Amino acid sequence: MPGRGAISESCRAIPLEAESRLFWWLRATIAWETLRSMLLGARLRLTLVALLSLVFWGSLYGLFAEGFTFLGSIHAEVISLLFNAFFSSLLLMLVLSTGILLYGSMYRSREARLLLTLPVREETIFAHKFQEAIWFSSWGFVLLGSPMLVAYGVVRGAPWTFYVLLLPFMVAFVVIPATLGGILCMALVAWLGRLRLYALSIAVAAGCAALAWLGWGLLRAGPVDGTSAEWFERMFVKLGVMEQRFLPSWWLSTGLIEAARTSTRPEDRLAALGEAGKFLALLLSNGMMLQVIAAWLARATYRMGYSQLAGEVPSRRQQARGGWFDELLSNCGSASGRPLRLLLVKDLRLFRRDIAQWSQFVIFFGLLGIYFLNLRSFHYNNTYASMISFLNLAVAGLILSTFTTRFIFPMISLEGRRFWILGLLPVHRDQIVMSKFVFAIVGGLPACCGLVLLSDSMLGIPWPLILVHELCCVVLCLGLSGIAVGLGARMPDLRESSPAKISSGFGGTLCLVLSSLYIMAVVIVAAVPAHIAVAAQALGSRPGKSDWIGWLGGPQGTAASILLVVILGVAGTLVPLELGRRAFRRLEL
Amino acid sequence: MIEFDHAWRTYGSKPAVSDLSLAIPRGELFALLGPNGAGKTTTIKMLVGLLRPSRGAVRVCGCDVVKDPRGAHLHTGYVPDEPTLYDKLTGREFLRFIADMFGMPRHLAARNIDREIENFELTEFADELAESYSLGMKQRLVFAASLLHDPAVLVLDEPMVGLDPRSVKIVKDLIRARTQEGMVVFMSTHTLAMAEELADRVGIMVRGDLRFLGTLDELRGQVALETTSLEHLYLRITASSPDGDAASST
Repeated sequence: MPGRGAISESCRAIPLEAESRLFWWLRATIAWETLRSMLLGARLRLTLVALLSLVFWGSLYGLFAEGFTFLGSIHAEVISLLFNAFFSSLLLMLVLSTGILLYGSMYRSREARLLLTLPVREETIFAHKFQEAIWFSSWGFVLLGSPMLVAYGVVRGAPWTFYVLLLPFMVAFVVIPATLGGILCMALVAWLGRLRLYALSIAVAAGCAALAWLGWGLLRAGPVDGTSAEWFERMFVKLGVMEQRFLPSWWLSTGLIEAARTSTRPEDRLAALGEAGKFLALLLSNGMMLQVIAAWLARATYRMGYSQLAGEVPSRRQQARGGWFDELLSNCGSASGRPLRLLLVKDLRLFRRDIAQWSQFVIFFGLLGIYFLNLRSFHYNNTYASMISFLNLAVAGLILSTFTTRFIFPMISLEGRRFWILGLLPVHRDQIVMSKFVFAIVGGLPACCGLVLLSDSMLGIPWPLILVHELCCVVLCLGLSGIAVGLGARMPDLRESSPAKISSGFGGTLCLVLSSLYIMAVVIVAAVPAHIAVAAQALGSRPGKSDWIGWLGGPQGTAASILLVVILGVAGTLVPLELGRRAFRRLEL
Repeated sequence: MIEFDHAWRTYGSKPAVSDLSLAIPRGELFALLGPNGAGKTTTIKMLVGLLRPSRGAVRVCGCDVVKDPRGAHLHTGYVPDEPTLYDKLTGREFLRFIADMFGMPRHLAARNIDREIENFELTEFADELAESYSLGMKQRLVFAASLLHDPAVLVLDEPMVGLDPRSVKIVKDLIRARTQEGMVVFMSTHTLAMAEELADRVGIMVRGDLRFLGTLDELRGQVALETTSLEHLYLRITASSPDGDAASST
């Protein structure tokens, strides 16, 4: 045994490359073990999720392929605009989501506490947590972006090099906003201390104000036909702000469009490929430069920021907010329902005090609201208005599904560590599950119904159709909440304390895929008769009763579709909820 | 080996540790005692580099934990109050990760891993995933990891939580043996019997102030009581301080 105190014989500081290799080994081992345990213990679930993901990917691919064909036939230039709008929105979202994820994993996690007591460089810890965060924050981009870009390549008849370049382009792009999120997170923690909440609020408010300004610019110019050349010109001018050449989203859009360029002349193809390569190099070099800055910042500020944050005293003032509402909710209603209401109040308090939760809720529904507010400025004919109203309904549902997956699905899992409290109370387990369900409804229904009402009134949709949309909203909220709560109770992850990791895991992915399929089913069932009826009116004829298309567009078809929507809603709500309740009753901790 | 040089740490405007000056030489086992919220965990977090002193300095084997944290960590082994492991690593893999992080040569790492696995009776489950471990097993593994690189300083925060009597005996014997070989042990505990049994010197902290520092005999000399048990002496010194503090984590 070596002499104590003579530690230099047994250990030494290791080089940076060795530290990086060690963390790669760590992540690879953990990933392999996770996959192995899933393959051994949950092969059926894994297969189901893989199949559903494929269906989801395929559906998105079909949707995008149709969309690109349609757009290509009327306004080819708009594709560049769409890419820019999509990627610049994504840029902003990735900055925020990676920043929030890194805040949790670098400053609040137990692993960070372990690593900070080991002789490891601060920049290595940042790199380790960054790679973890980028995976969690960008899988949605891959799920949404890859079918879109593949569909674009197929419709455009892009050369094989386009598909080869897709992944490097996506990875090189994602690194930039994610690193920016990391830099912002570390800078806010280190230098703004307690002001970071206000700084974040100001940044979010500034972003919303910029979007509102953009929307107002479109609104005040007066109404135009949504398919006219004038409309497209105006859109180009107003949304030109998203096509700034200094934005990585522009580099990505332009690089991909160049990579997909086709020509009969080999020299033109080579030139386009060279251009694409130039933009890829631009993305890569900027990503690497930001990584160097982030590493320097981590070295200079990480330990200081961690220490400062750990030394903060929680604000007492904030704890009193919303007290009257909690009191009211706790004391209203029957005595038998009081446990459920108390659980609801507890979840509402946790939600209010977690800025990461409600800020994302406000940002996404706020952005959707701004978009809906601007719909009045486009005079769509009835056919388009009906189609857009249903698409808006689907979008509201999809955003709601991301929230039920991200925030509602992990709720039961998060009770795992404190289950001894709830387990010992005179509360039936069903009430715990039901309280999460009610919480999801209370949070989602007003926002969703309000937004769809706003969209419909801006589009000038007739009242009967508005009622159908509102019914769909209720059905979507009930079903999505039932799916998230039911699956959350059916496959809880009681060991994980991070809601982001729980929702990004196996059950969360299944929840998102099932939710998306449910939304598609409800919206398609509701949209088909309404759309046929509106299309028939637009063509100046009433739907006939002799053929099945006529039957679908008539009152019977509408009634049947409403009935089917209600059946879908009841099944989508009760089946997962009941499965979840049964599993939760049997759950042993 | 350990030196607190007029170290202060505040939470907001309230001091959690005030003007702490303390030097612990090679081969000493020091026990830090005090009621909840007295500043024990804050002191330990400053020692292992998780918190920076607001004023003053903390040094381990001459390395300032703020200016040269990696240097200080190379000399330190740390057992926190709550064991942190990677659920998807086996016990042996976790020990290898820690050994590699400390830059131990392969042959030495392998030898020390086997040694600690044997010392802490981990052989049976060393190749199982940590997610299947009980709290006591996790705590034993963390102990093994903290001693793997033969640190000059071992920092223990409530070390016996979750350990069964046999494991407690193993830990006590190991601590004794290592201090005899020159290792410094800095231990925070509420288990007065253990402090009485093991500690060369004790410090009693109340509301961030080190109210007493010395050997048990010195403590007995300072507090005139009929009984001389540490429990009674401790209660006398801390009697004027109600539990709790502004900063709950202290």
